[in-house]
Amino acid sequence: MTEIQNPILDVQGLEKHFGGITAIGGLDMRVGEGITGLIGPNGAGKTTFFNCVTGALTPDAGRVAFADGDITGKRPSAVAQEGLVRTFQIPRELPEMTVRENLQLAPRGQSGERLAQAWLRGDEFADDERRVREKAAEMAEFLEIDHVLDAKAGTLSGGQRKLLELARVLLTEPDMILLDEPLAGVNPTLEQKILDRIHDLESQGYSFLFIEHDIDVIMETCERVVVMHQGQVLTSGEPADVKSDDRVIEAYLGEEV
Amino acid sequence: MALADFFISLLTFVTIYSLFGLGLNVKFGFTGLIDFGHVAYFMIGAYVTVFVAMPAGLSETYEGLTGLGLATAFAGVPGGDLLGWLVALVIGMAAAALVSVLVGIPTIRLREDYLAITALGIATILNAIFHNERWLFNGAFGIREVHEPLSGAFPIGTGSFQLNLLLFGLPSVAILGYAAYRTAKVVRPLSVRPALLGTGATLALAGSVVFVITTMTGLVVDLGVFVLNVDNTIAFVLLVGSVVAGRAALTETDHIGALLALASALLFTLWYLGQPLVAFVTEGETADLLLNLFWLYDATAGSAGGLDYDRFFFLFTLAFLVGAYLWVERTVNSPYGRVLRAVREDESVPEALGKPTFRYKIQSLMFGSALAGAAGGLWAANIGFIDPTQFASTVTFFAYTAVIIGGTANNRGVILGTAVFWVINSGTRFLDDFFPSEYAQQLAALRLILIGALLIVILYYRPEGMLGEQDYDIDLGRGGVSDD
Amino acid sequence: MASAGLLDALLQGLITGMIIAAGALGLSLIYSIAEVPNFAHGDMITIGAYLALALNKPGAIPFVPEFGGLPLIAAGILGVAVAGSTGAIYEVAIFRRFRSKGADLITMVIVSLGLALVLRNVVLFLVGSGNINYDTERVTNTNVELYLTGNGLSVQTVQRQAGDLVTLGEWGYGWLSLLAIVALAAAVGIGVYRWRSDDASFETVHLVSPRIFGIASGITALAALATVLQGAPHTIDAAVWSTSVGVSIKYGVIIGLTLVTMLAMNLLLKGTKTGRAMRATADNMALAEIRGVNIDRVQLVVWVLAALLTALAGVLTGWFASNLNPNMGFSLLLPIFAAVIMGGITSPYGAVLASLIIGVSMDVGVFLLPAEFATYRTAIAFVILIGVLLVKPEGLWGDV
Ligand SMILES: Nc1ncnc2c1ncn2[C@@H]1O[C@H](COP(=O)(O)OP(=O)(O)OP(=O)(O)O)[C@@H](O)[C@H]1O
Ligand SMILES: [Mg+2]
Repeated sequence: MTEIQNPILDVQGLEKHFGGITAIGGLDMRVGEGITGLIGPNGAGKTTFFNCVTGALTPDAGRVAFADGDITGKRPSAVAQEGLVRTFQIPRELPEMTVRENLQLAPRGQSGERLAQAWLRGDEFADDERRVREKAAEMAEFLEIDHVLDAKAGTLSGGQRKLLELARVLLTEPDMILLDEPLAGVNPTLEQKILDRIHDLESQGYSFLFIEHDIDVIMETCERVVVMHQGQVLTSGEPADVKSDDRVIEAYLGEEV
Repeated sequence: MALADFFISLLTFVTIYSLFGLGLNVKFGFTGLIDFGHVAYFMIGAYVTVFVAMPAGLSETYEGLTGLGLATAFAGVPGGDLLGWLVALVIGMAAAALVSVLVGIPTIRLREDYLAITALGIATILNAIFHNERWLFNGAFGIREVHEPLSGAFPIGTGSFQLNLLLFGLPSVAILGYAAYRTAKVVRPLSVRPALLGTGATLALAGSVVFVITTMTGLVVDLGVFVLNVDNTIAFVLLVGSVVAGRAALTETDHIGALLALASALLFTLWYLGQPLVAFVTEGETADLLLNLFWLYDATAGSAGGLDYDRFFFLFTLAFLVGAYLWVERTVNSPYGRVLRAVREDESVPEALGKPTFRYKIQSLMFGSALAGAAGGLWAANIGFIDPTQFASTVTFFAYTAVIIGGTANNRGVILGTAVFWVINSGTRFLDDFFPSEYAQQLAALRLILIGALLIVILYYRPEGMLGEQDYDIDLGRGGVSDD
Repeated sequence: MASAGLLDALLQGLITGMIIAAGALGLSLIYSIAEVPNFAHGDMITIGAYLALALNKPGAIPFVPEFGGLPLIAAGILGVAVAGSTGAIYEVAIFRRFRSKGADLITMVIVSLGLALVLRNVVLFLVGSGNINYDTERVTNTNVELYLTGNGLSVQTVQRQAGDLVTLGEWGYGWLSLLAIVALAAAVGIGVYRWRSDDASFETVHLVSPRIFGIASGITALAALATVLQGAPHTIDAAVWSTSVGVSIKYGVIIGLTLVTMLAMNLLLKGTKTGRAMRATADNMALAEIRGVNIDRVQLVVWVLAALLTALAGVLTGWFASNLNPNMGFSLLLPIFAAVIMGGITSPYGAVLASLIIGVSMDVGVFLLPAEFATYRTAIAFVILIGVLLVKPEGLWGDV
């Protein structure tokens, strides 16, 4: 197991129980720069882990540090403002708003989002909004949802919703993005495009923690893989090492691999 | 009371309740908060405005807290009482907003249905406090010493009768004309056949009502015993005809809105101008006709006629409504408004994207409550007397009904819905004159049954209301690129 | 003469709680199974009360043929039954349609609000806003006065007859027998509880929970022992403490009826196929439907049951307070909601327990607070609710 020297995300002793079920049981995880894969069987607790880290759920025990600051128990908005955002595994589009508005909502630090600015409209207001519009349009084009920009988000197809979810998170321009199966249900050409974009963004200094069940995608994309099983980290390391780990094969990959 | 006076007072009510509804729309329509205690802020706005403006020792029957007398504080400056009252109103709005924060901080994180019931409970308790604690604002006895800004200055007018008529009468006719023009624009897409059928249906309906009314005056009708005679039969036939023609018109066109607009415009014209016109044609009587046409002009005010206080006060409230409308529009047509709507759709999304939704919800609550507070201050000045029974929970429910009829999350819809609501609820009150007075309560109940049923029917067949959710456009000023 | 005290307020509160419980039981069914936060619930109570009135005092309501009127018992039973069919109407005419359109919670709230408006005004339209009363025998209160003296407890029952206070009975207990009664009753209660929970393996579903069995047997034992061990009264002049508790046959009827109703509900929910279908639907409507539960039938049953329960609450309220008015239901709405939320929406048993707590706190609160706070009786229920919501938003007991 390789040790991460300068973790961006540092989780220690995390626990989360639902009634009698232990979804996360004393989990330690350190995630460094670059693209890290997070794999594990269904129900391993990956999504719950995301929820606890980003503040959507309050962990029962443990400590979460991000970029050297303690974010344990902070509200999701505060965590996002620190630069850590996540996608939802089941996309949450805002159905009665247009795709365009869904996208324009995302960028952080818009001056027009403050009540005083919305009323008084200083100089920044228009500039910010123009910037937001451009970015949203650019992102829509990249993810090939630009032809539905003016449709209500509630009318999108399942795959388009996934793309919208991803687009919104990318638009927040955070330091680290937690991706919860962003490729499930996305067509292969677009899948490659998204992976390329993720690499692009990585070279610009973004970090990713990436849940994905397709082991080949993980092998190609990630520098490091963490395997979760029954609410704990089973092992972590280079993709090739992890793939040949007996426990991983038994718990997740199955005999035939 | 001339129809014009009734019309003015109805319009004033609609204006004030529209302002109240705009506040509700901020909370409910744009942010998705079910505040069933909205009326509490209406009450607080009314009481605080009155209390701050009211000079001490005006009355011996008042045993509440001593008023701050702001209305007389600026007596030296011209229009000082208006200034004092405006300051009082701002304080009333601020008080409403402040109380809403105190209520909101513990409750706003709750599930939507829990929020609804707790808000309803808190409003009920606040009302009970205002009702029971005489030391506060005179309890159940209410406050009669309500300052009415500028009331001393009215009626105003020039010395000349002709000039007054020109000054106030002309705008009245112009406004009616403009309303007719707008209605015509709405009605235009209707093709000839359904338009004729709709007209026929409306006229038959009106005829049937007129028949019943004219033949029933002075006649004691006992509900439950419906006497069959010639008049009733004619009225019944007309009614059936109206329903048949109305159904036909509805099935023949897709422009149901246009059809409804046509019918309402016809009904309004018949009601407002029909009777005076008949009087004019048959008896050469012009007074009522002129009064109704030149509705802003009151011939009986002062020596040469002019603008009386009621009419002024309508314009005054209208100015507030327009101001509030623009203010809310500016708020929702901004990135801020975008976040509010995102909160309404799914709070977890803006939260995950880094927007502190708690703060947004509290601000929305404050803003909506402040608008309700402003409506309360105007309400008090309009009625001239307040007591806690005016602020029962039903007022909140009426506002919900109005907002939903007009179109949730649509500011114009709020005004339209409020107008429709109050026309149903008050505009039909003139029908009461034709029934024995002991049925007044029954008729009031009947109206509310109708409104409750209408609410359910609208939610089922047209949940987006008459106008549907409004469109949004963030104005970027000069050089602002269009969104597409 | 002893004056009314805490004990009296407690008993009053228990009655209030029982009435609230009848309403809360229905609301918790609607809330958890039909998923409607039903703001018309209060007005359904009013409708039930007035339906019984229409049969009991037909002359009071126009459109109802004058036939002399039924005795209150018959009118009550019939009225409750008719109210049940109104529940079916609400479901079939309104809520089923909205459910099939997938209406969200907010819509359901407002639909129920519209229904509330209609129901209340139907009453206003037909009967008017005045106070009215069932046509039935007057029930006189008996005051049970308790005196604690140096020798033990002495009991007097007093009734006001034609303006004069008449002592009906007088007896006492020595310290020793008092001690024996309490100890024996406690022993019986605990014993029964032990016995009932003995066989509790993980799978047994108790129709009546051992705890309730225990409490019920304890109370029964207490009453029996107190009757059997009556002794001579002590002189009450030297009483160190005295209190008076007003009781009447109404109390017994209300407690008895609500208890029987709850037991019946309990049997229905836990012992029948329909009950299991209802609980499955409450858990997860979509899943229940996949498993072959006829959702429409379940919802119909729920609305009918809720309407029956609200009507029962209405008749009892009207009879207990000797007063009906169109607002009677609405003023119960807040405490009922408070009880349901406090008990945890999905738990009818939690709702009943919370109803008792709320009823007792309302009446005891009014007793303990200075007189000028008496008008804030409902507010007390509410303050409790808000407190609970702030501390435990999921209700006191969660899923029982
Ligand atoms: N809100 C909840 N209430 C109760 N149990 C929950 C809740 N959320 C998750 N769980 C349970 O916690 C466990 C972990 O679930 P989680 O969604 O984190 O799994 P996952 O690793 O994301 O699985 P998948 O690959 O299928 O998405 C599961 O057993 C699940 O049933
Ligand atoms: Mg998952």
